[in-house]
Amino acid sequence: MIKPKIVFLIITLFLSNVFARDYIIVQSTTSTANTGLLDLLSKEFFQDTGIEVRAVAVGTGTALANAKKGDGDVLMVHSKIDEIKFVQDGFGVKRFDLMYNDFVIVGPDNDPAKIKDKKNISEVMKILSNPNYKFISRDDFSGTHKKELSLWYESGISIPIDNSYIKSGSGMASTINIANEMQSYTLTDRGTWIAFQNKNNLDILFEKDKSLFNPYGIIAISPKKFPHVEYEKSNRFIEWLLKGRGNYIISNFTIEDQKLFFTYN
Amino acid sequence: MLNTPKVLEAIGISLHVSFVSTLFAFFLSIFFGYLIATRKFFLKKYIVSFLGSLTSIPPVCAGLIVYLIISRSGPLGWMELLYTPLAMIIAQFIIIFPIMITLIINYIEREYPQLKDELISYGASQKDILFLLITNQKGIYLTTLLIGFGRAISEYGAAAIVGGSIDHVTRNMTAMIALETAKGNILIGVILGAILISISLIISFGINYFKNDD
Repeated sequence: MIKPKIVFLIITLFLSNVFARDYIIVQSTTSTANTGLLDLLSKEFFQDTGIEVRAVAVGTGTALANAKKGDGDVLMVHSKIDEIKFVQDGFGVKRFDLMYNDFVIVGPDNDPAKIKDKKNISEVMKILSNPNYKFISRDDFSGTHKKELSLWYESGISIPIDNSYIKSGSGMASTINIANEMQSYTLTDRGTWIAFQNKNNLDILFEKDKSLFNPYGIIAISPKKFPHVEYEKSNRFIEWLLKGRGNYIISNFTIEDQKLFFTYN
Repeated sequence: MLNTPKVLEAIGISLHVSFVSTLFAFFLSIFFGYLIATRKFFLKKYIVSFLGSLTSIPPVCAGLIVYLIISRSGPLGWMELLYTPLAMIIAQFIIIFPIMITLIINYIEREYPQLKDELISYGASQKDILFLLITNQKGIYLTTLLIGFGRAISEYGAAAIVGGSIDHVTRNMTAMIALETAKGNILIGVILGAILISISLIISFGINYFKNDD
């Protein structure tokens, strides 16, 4: 009693997948996606080369995990230590520096913790570890979360375990919203912050310490480990981003006249 | 403020994915629903209960299950289904099929016993009985379609995980709402939500219009 039309529909749906792989899958972060950069790069690369880019924005931790399972052709994240290990372990071919910006500490514009005039990040982290001031953590192994953990570590401060340290376990937007609702501090990448449309009375209160440097890397997933990857197309994409028009697009990407990402050349 | 072409694209993807998953689930619900409802067999009670329990499967779980299967490291990875609309269709199917088949089974179990005796006395075959069940009582089937479709088009989690919310390809309405919310565009998220509900409203009106034509 199974209608022939349904069988036909199923077959066409499957066939449309079997023959095509003229696209590359890029595992990337939410910071590149929420700014709109990923969509733009995908569109422009397709226009220049006819190769479709399917960029999946899942967060650094998930992107790394997905890539290690072979669910992608290119990895584009911001966690240099993990990226280097990724290549060392044979999952990726080579890591290239793609672009950079920085992280900033945002908080209520009246700055109750008075971190605005502090000289370095260690001082700031020490003040924020005080139970009088709330700090929101991503707690999701994202690039931002990993940077936050390294800041506590570098400052020699153990991560607070009292109620003033709040784990959102969610994305940057949700975390910023919580920071606003609870009038607290949090760490965010500048790109997401500039693009974010719901800042309310939060403001950048500390920035420009060299520890807040935020480098993004790009890696082609290894065809030796995963023979199915579109290695040639991936390399074209990487080259386009490093030396081709992609590089220009990244460095000229602005929101409200502010540059979000910087390139190395 | 609202990027109309992108929104129209997302609407198109939502409708395409949810229409196909609903139709697919609908026909399989009728087929298997009829078989299960009209026959006695070993473990029948357990299977029916199990299907009933699957009606509350969280969308994220359905998405994860499909993801594990179609991921490159999974058994069906070679089919390259991940991050395609077909993967979204499959994930939505898993969510709505239990709901639809449970409705069908309940209906047929109620109507079939009396109808069967009546029709067999007139010399009807199994196929005739099923045909009459469907065409005579359009109501229940249209309601099943509506409930299935409503669940499919509004879910977020299943299609997002296996589809990847990729621009132009797998970013449906609910994925777009999530993305705009993640960018802090709360108002846009609300507007898109209103659009989604309006579409559901139109479809619901349409289906109920046909229902009342009985």
